[in-house]
Amino acid sequence: MTSNSTSTLHLDNNDNHDDGQNPITNPNPSSPKTSEESFRSLTINEPDDIDNEDSAALANGSMDPDHGVRDEIEVSGDLKESVPGAEAAVVAEIVEEEVEGPSEGSPSPSSSGYAGERGSSGGGIEEADEDDDDDGLTVEAGSDSAAWVAGKRHLDEDDAFMSWRKRKKHFFVLSNSGKPIYSRYGDEHKLAGFSATLQAIISFVENSGDRIKFVRAGKNQVVFLVKGPIYLVCISCTEEPYEALREQLELIYGQMLLILTKSVNRCFEKNPKYDMTPLLGGTEAVFSSLIHSFSWNPATFLHAYTCLPLAYSTRQAAGAILQDVADSGVLFAILMCKHKVVSLVGAQKASLHPDDMLLLANFVLSSESFRTSESFSPICLPKYNPMAFLYAYVHYFDDDMYLILLTTSSDSFYHLKDCRIRVEKVLVKSNVLSEVQRSMLDGGLHVEELPVDSSVSSGTLSPHLGQDRLAPDGFRPPPVGIGGPAGLWHFIYRSIYLDQYVSSEFSSPINSSRQQKRLYRAYQKLYASMHDRDTGAHKTQFRKDENYVLLCWITQDFELYAAFDPLADKASAIKICNRVCQWIRDLENEIFLLGASPFSW
Amino acid sequence: MATTATKSVNAKLVLLGDVGAGKSSLVLRFVKGQFIDFQESTIGAAFFSQTIAVNDATVKFEIWDTAGQERYHSLAPMYYRGAAAAIVVYDITNPISFTRAKKWVQELQAQGNTNMIMALAGNKSDLLDARKVTAEATQTYAEENNLFFMETSAKSATNVNEIFYEIAKRLPRAQPVQNPVGMVLMDRPVERTAGASCCS
Repeated sequence: MTSNSTSTLHLDNNDNHDDGQNPITNPNPSSPKTSEESFRSLTINEPDDIDNEDSAALANGSMDPDHGVRDEIEVSGDLKESVPGAEAAVVAEIVEEEVEGPSEGSPSPSSSGYAGERGSSGGGIEEADEDDDDDGLTVEAGSDSAAWVAGKRHLDEDDAFMSWRKRKKHFFVLSNSGKPIYSRYGDEHKLAGFSATLQAIISFVENSGDRIKFVRAGKNQVVFLVKGPIYLVCISCTEEPYEALREQLELIYGQMLLILTKSVNRCFEKNPKYDMTPLLGGTEAVFSSLIHSFSWNPATFLHAYTCLPLAYSTRQAAGAILQDVADSGVLFAILMCKHKVVSLVGAQKASLHPDDMLLLANFVLSSESFRTSESFSPICLPKYNPMAFLYAYVHYFDDDMYLILLTTSSDSFYHLKDCRIRVEKVLVKSNVLSEVQRSMLDGGLHVEELPVDSSVSSGTLSPHLGQDRLAPDGFRPPPVGIGGPAGLWHFIYRSIYLDQYVSSEFSSPINSSRQQKRLYRAYQKLYASMHDRDTGAHKTQFRKDENYVLLCWITQDFELYAAFDPLADKASAIKICNRVCQWIRDLENEIFLLGASPFSW
Repeated sequence: MATTATKSVNAKLVLLGDVGAGKSSLVLRFVKGQFIDFQESTIGAAFFSQTIAVNDATVKFEIWDTAGQERYHSLAPMYYRGAAAAIVVYDITNPISFTRAKKWVQELQAQGNTNMIMALAGNKSDLLDARKVTAEATQTYAEENNLFFMETSAKSATNVNEIFYEIAKRLPRAQPVQNPVGMVLMDRPVERTAGASCCS
């Protein structure tokens, strides 16, 4: 574990900041401010701050193909949409008015794109009452979407429907000839005209040697992503940052590659008018479930995976048998429980990108067919090799736990089947299966269990036995129901070197999936602003609005995102963040997969 | 390829056919006795095994239920290579799926094992009112192409076990089949039976 055990977050009115750090700029953090204005940043002296920025960004694995080209198209919010059915015409006008706009090559800060963020939506679309991102409001977000049913909704709609146009977040995939490939809502084939319009906008800008990144129209943001012959577009009024929406488009593209590989481009070389929809037949649930995960799964923006909490020895036992299997010619052996990793092993020098894991898990979990029996299916890991298929053997041990064995050889099914039988025997014998089931029931870290006395730091206790740790000093945690100490409601800790994160369970103040999604969006915004390439990456941020106090802290080892009660005091919030980091370090053996390389244990 | 033991036979069997023809439903009916109205699309191919007793022998089917989606067509050889038997499935209410089935037959004849037993299953026979492909026309086609043909219904379990038993009976054995049953035996199965007995 590489975590820097000396990192501690200080603030100016704390005792020690004699090392020349900048004082906090917000003199009065607790005064209620309205949303954006209440943003304050807190500068911390981290000796190696600057050097880390790039490496941290690299560790994120976020690829920025647009790097260097920062032209933007911005449309002020006077776009009227009073006449149903005239949408195409209205959008086309944007092109004519605004395309001259982008200044050649001048790097305008992306924040300027948000000038109209809170701007008037005068005469704009009234968004649908239903927030269609969480079609299942009963979903226990953060855990899993048991109640949420994957699959396409509102198939009968098209762009002439008011209901379709009121949807808050659309995703489209189309070909560079304007043929629809995928639409989140409605029937692709009925959206041919709309797709053609999107294609016209993109190619109009491309023809002038430029590239369109986004268009802002009132409350709506239209984000474009061009991937060779495939265009991806998101139209959203969710106020998510441009960067977050673009990353989501990247993931949708990655999911498509996982199913088809990049060699699908050849179809378009042969025939530019190629209709790609049949190739994606039967995958609606894969895409709808990925899009749903944009509003509950932190892995979609953190570029990290998360592990099921398990005793170190249990995970080790699972890892040992997977390693055994990997040595027999399996490229990757992955044991998962829903979206959480139990253990994972790669053949020598093969490493699995967290985004690939996210897409792979989403693919397996959203395809009912894998649950019926053992399967052998070609899949592509876009970050591993976007051009080639691997072959995936998938087998469910029970309702939640499944094994994925990946190989490069198309005729090794029977070998992989044998491997699975070996793995299963060991897992049963060493009680891994039952431990996993127990951990599923117990859940992850609970903010109520955060040890308040930092001197108590035995790293051997299972997180499920959190109560034991609270005994010294007779301190009792606040009763379950009002969050953790100092108003701590929730946190996410991402280990940069491990590419893993751990997220606390949602507790009482954040119960409904709607609240969880709102918090998640706030984190996402925080993440985007912390990693903003133009204004430079930040190290810490303290943000207060009517919903939360949000605190983010990034070091070379980890990123911590924490949400507190909106009335939480800054000094104690910072203190609690330090506690959380200490707690995570104490528990790292159980909440992270350590030593994923074969020689470290 | 059928591997032979004294009285038990392992046989790889592959199901091919258009999307939604009912391949998975046939297999699930045969293997688990289940039927689901809304069967999800298969990804890649699902593997099942089922052992049945035919006459004196037991036949262990290793069944590959392939996905009908277009993107998997080029990968089909991976699953039918070395298969002892294939069931090509179409939906009697969908002429396109019958056209697609004929293409599968063609492909198997061109590239598959020449000894492969091929069955043609006209599935969804319970949907009589919606029938678009007649049994007579298919029967003629099947005879011309040396296939045996049955109309099946995974939903009502009609002819599902029968088609698998029929295949099992036709599989070559280590020992000559005791009672060749009163069915029409094509030339090829007879040859194969002879060939198998030579090796034993």
